[in-house]
Order: sequence, then C-alpha cells, then structure tokens
Amino acid sequence: MKGNYSVVIFYSTSAAIRAESLAKKDELIVKLIPVPRNLSSDCGICLRFNNEDKPKIEKILQDGKVEYENIYGI
Amino acid sequence: MLKKIFCFRKYIIFTGVFIGISATVLQKLGNPANMGICIACMERDIAGALGLHRAAVVQYIRPEIIGFVFGSLIAALIFKEFKARSGSAPLMRFVLGFLAMIGALVFLGCPWRTLLRLAGGDGNALFGLAGLITGILVGIFFIKSGYNLGRNQRTYPLVGWIMPLIMMGLFLLLLFRPQLPSGAVFFSSQGPGSQHAPLFIALLVAMVIGFLAQRTRFCTVAAVRDVILIKDTYLFTGVISLLLAALVSNLILKQFHPGFQGQPIAHTNQLWNFGGMVLAGLAFTLAGGCPGRQLFLSGEGDADAAVFVLGMIVGAGFAHNFDTASSPQGPGLWGPASVIVGLIICLIIGFSMSDLMKKKKEA
Repeated sequence: MKGNYSVVIFYSTSAAIRAESLAKKDELIVKLIPVPRNLSSDCGICLRFNNEDKPKIEKILQDGKVEYENIYGI
Repeated sequence: MLKKIFCFRKYIIFTGVFIGISATVLQKLGNPANMGICIACMERDIAGALGLHRAAVVQYIRPEIIGFVFGSLIAALIFKEFKARSGSAPLMRFVLGFLAMIGALVFLGCPWRTLLRLAGGDGNALFGLAGLITGILVGIFFIKSGYNLGRNQRTYPLVGWIMPLIMMGLFLLLLFRPQLPSGAVFFSSQGPGSQHAPLFIALLVAMVIGFLAQRTRFCTVAAVRDVILIKDTYLFTGVISLLLAALVSNLILKQFHPGFQGQPIAHTNQLWNFGGMVLAGLAFTLAGGCPGRQLFLSGEGDADAAVFVLGMIVGAGFAHNFDTASSPQGPGLWGPASVIVGLIICLIIGFSMSDLMKKKKEA
C-alpha cells in the first residue's frame, strides 16, 4: 500500500477543504486525512491522493489559487 | 484488523490513559476535586498569583502549566520539531483566547476538566460537554465556509523561545516566592488555590504529559472536529481513553460521586453551563485547538499559540475582576451577558474571516 499515495499539506484546514471540493469536482479520488505524524506535528488536515494524479492535483491547486505548504509521498 | 488499529493508535491511547490517571492521582495528592488537571482553571490561578485578579481563593502558580510547555519543548527539541513560527493573526488569537477563557469560567472548566468532571460523576458537565460540541459544530461551519486565520511564517528562533522563557520565569517565582509590597506573588491560603499536589511531582507528571502530547498531537477539540469533518477517529480515541481511564481511576481512588447537586467547583445553572462552553468550544475551534494543545504548540515554537495562551490568562484576570466568572453559587453577575457578547464577537470573526462575506458581496 505504501507508495501509492501522496498528501498535500496546507496552511489552514479550510484550504484543505477547498482543495478537496475542487479535486472532487474534477472527479479525482481524494480523501481528507489528519496530517501524518512523521510529516508535521500540526494537528491539521491534509489531502490524500493517488500518485498518478499528482500533475492534475498541482494544476487544480494552481488554478484554484489554493496556497499549500508541500506535497509528500506517503 | 483490530491489532493494526491498536498498533497505529497505541500511543494516542496511552497518552489519553496517562492523562486520565495522572489527573485523578494529582487530585488524590492535593489538587482540587475534579480538577486534577484543568488548563483554564490553572491558567486562571496563575493570573491570580500574578495579581491580574484578586479572587483570593484562586491564586497559585500551577506547575502543571509550566510542565506542559517544558515537556512539549523537550520533545520538540529531541525530535527536531522545534520550529519558531508566528504571524497568523496573533491579535485575533489573543481575542479568541480571551473569549475562550470567559466561556470556560462561566462553565468552570476547560474541555479537559469537562471530561474529568464527567469521570468524577458530575452530571452538570454533560451540559458543558453538549455546549462544547455545539460550539465546535459552529466552528466547523465556518471552517467549511473558508474561515482561516492566515498562514504563519518561520521566524527567528528566539520568538519561539518566548513562551518557554515566560514559563521559566513563572517557575522561578513559584520556587522562590518573592513577597513584594503590593502583596504579589499571591498564593491562596484557602479555597481551591490553596489545594495543590507536591510541586515537583506535579511538574514532572505535566512534563511527561507535554512530551506525550507533543508526540501524539493530543487535542480534545480537534478530536471532535476530525470525527465530524473528516470522519477520522484517531484523536478521538485519545479523548475516550482519557475519560475511561479517569473514570476507572476515580472509582478505585473512591473519587467518584455521581449527581448534580453539591459537585465540587461546579454550579447547577445548566443554561449557562451549556452557554459558556458553546463560547469556549467555538473560540477554541476558530483558534485551531483546545487550551492544552495551545500550550503544547507554544512549547514547540508556535508563537501564535503562545499569544492565545496569554489571551486566556488575561481573560481570566478580566473574568474575575468584572464578575463574569461563575462560582459554586452560580454564574457571576455579568456571566450571561459576557457569554452573549463573546458569542457575537466570535460570530463576527467567523463571518468576516471566511468566504461568507465575499459571497455576499458578489451576490
């Protein structure tokens, strides 16, 4: 299972929610999950997606002007 | 499957259990009843010790608060997670901390003490818990509507060290107890402020809690938020563990006294038990975490969380000086009014810092 997913880390919970709704509009399979402990000590929420969708996710974030901290493979 | 869940969650369960047991044992060792640990009450006592309010029965520099910050700091340093950061609407966080304290002192407890009061058999806490969840739900509504306080920025390490240094100062005041002509540092000779567990035991236990909580991100408010917002129960498992461990521990220590009347440091005005915690729950959610979590964050370099903590301490001073804090007799004279005003302010913050205003303008 490891290696199939990546997560986008945001600066705010609402940005994560916005990104989720934008991604779902484009029918991508995404899920909001708590930020994995090894990535950050924030108690925030991040967006998980399938690795192959990375270019699409990046475009969505850019087009939607959603500011994000980073993308990590998990 | 179950084993996998436990493996993933064993640390958060352990943290919850440790907090639950520690709180009841600290009570046994001298802390006030159902207040083995209460972030709001303990910060209120610190405010009193510094003379920010003159309620003579609630003045003590609680080493637990100091220990939470130190424990988190040590964990963050060891695991290289100490990051000095600030600049995410600090003044707004001060206001939210202030209002959260106003609400918590109308109910008489923070989310942690809500759980501990329940575990001690205090039925009034059910209304506080209902209020807390209601407040969090309103907060979630704003988060879903785009509410945020803006992003923080990395900054000079010293900025992140301010809160640990403030705590070091408080620790020195506690240790040496200087007596100034003004009467400061104030230490209660009777009432809840005079009841405390031995200093170094309390400090040590709190440091372990701070350490564990920094590692696991334990947070009572985000626990509820995550269940509702993203259907994730990781943090919630910790909260339930805390409640059950405290309950069992109270039963063993004979500290479980079910009922509504005559509960320690509590009142039976359910409307304002509820209302106070709606305000606190909303303010915590808008600020991103429960008061414990804010302390742990301020220990790992989050200066915005530190400002929230300072807001809470100042809020406690205000609450007692202006008679908005409750007493076992019931809400203070201005308690209900302060909750209503506080809720209005929180709603204005929620509306104006989300997309709700933008949408209205566009429409």
